[in-house]
This record gives sequence, structure tokens and C-alpha cells, in this order.
Amino acid sequence: MTSPLRLPPPDPVIEAYKRDIDRSLIRENLKRSVEERLEALTQMQRLAEELRRAGRRAGR
Amino acid sequence: MTDFKSLLRVLAERGVEFILVGGVAATVHGATRLTLDVDVVYRRSRQNIDRLVLALTPSRPYLRGAPPGLPFRWDTATVERGLNFTLTTDVGDLDLLGEIVGGGTYEALLPHTIVIQVFGLECRCLDLPALVRAKRASGRPKDLEAVAELEAILEERLRAAGEGPPAPPAR
Repeated sequence: MTSPLRLPPPDPVIEAYKRDIDRSLIRENLKRSVEERLEALTQMQRLAEELRRAGRRAGR
Repeated sequence: MTDFKSLLRVLAERGVEFILVGGVAATVHGATRLTLDVDVVYRRSRQNIDRLVLALTPSRPYLRGAPPGLPFRWDTATVERGLNFTLTTDVGDLDLLGEIVGGGTYEALLPHTIVIQVFGLECRCLDLPALVRAKRASGRPKDLEAVAELEAILEERLRAAGEGPPAPPAR
């Protein structure tokens, strides 16, 4: 059993944030499998870590 | 860096009863935002706490952000005395939650989960409507954008099922 798929009552603050959501990115991501999404997250994390390291090196 | 695959394997292969929540659960549902840790709600039964302790011991869990050398013992008594633990381990950062705002305990969340097959493992993950409810209930300003993205995903899924609002233009 899972929760019925339905939208919660609209919240004006969240609706304002929603206007800036990149729908094309979401639509592309929804075509991926769960495993592919988690692999992409790992790659993103690796990139973020590498950029942080580069920033630290540049700040020395 | 958190090794999501290894962390999930450590828990699932030892038979720990847990539910993925938070940022990784959002990723499972299609969110594109970066998250750095794994958040799980674990069952607070004695048997499960024993399994959890055994599963994580080889990965040397320690309190995240705490100074080194504190007399922290990772054992059943410690987990039974506490509820929520923010840990760092050899395979990454893990938030162990006995309950969450807007969702409650493992038992309360269980009817609102899906079973996913990933990396050759089976894991329970909070379903999308329940994840939206929990994120909304947390009321943290930093979650507002994450909630907006999750609701946009919900709209896309409803639309794919022929039930959603009209599609806003892709940016």
C-alpha cells in the first residue's frame, strides 16, 4: 500500500518557488532508472568534492 | 564523500529494517538536487537495533561534527538510549532517525513506502506524497526549494497518468 498520488493543497510560498523549477531537467531525470539517478547523484557529489578541493587549493 | 551504494549495502545485507527518507529518497523519485548524506528511519525494535549496530560497526560510526576522542560507544545500549543520530562512517555520512516530523516512526511510515531495487538490493523508500508531507511539515526554510521540486515531480507524474494540471513550459 502506498499514499494516493495527489497534490497537497497549494501553499503560496511553495508555488512561488515552483515557478523557478527547471521542468526540462526533471522530465529528463524521470526517464532514468532509480539506479541511474543514484549514480548521477554520486557523480555530482564527486564533482562538488573536486570543485571544493580546487577552491581550497586556489585560496592558499 | 558518501558512498551511497556501500552504505545501502551495509544496511540491506544485514537485514536492517529501514526506510530511505530525505535527499536520497528525493533522488529516487527524480529530484535533481545534490545531497551529501543518507537519511533513514530505522525500526526501533531490539532485534533491529542489534542488526543496525552489527551492520555499522565495521564502518566505525562516530558523531558527525563532534571533536575526536569523545567517549562515544556504538552499541545497542547507546542506540536504545537515543533516537536520532547524525553519524559519519567510513562509507559516508548517515542520519539515523527514530522518527521524523510529519511522518512519525518506522511503523507509521511503512504504509507510505515503496520497495525499490537498486544495486542488486531491495530497499524501502518513502513514497512521493509522504515525502512531500514530511518535507512540508519540517518547515525548514532550506527545504522550500526541495519541496517545490518534489511537488513539480508529483505534477509531472500525475500529468503522465492523465490527471495532472496543464504543463507549465519547460525553462
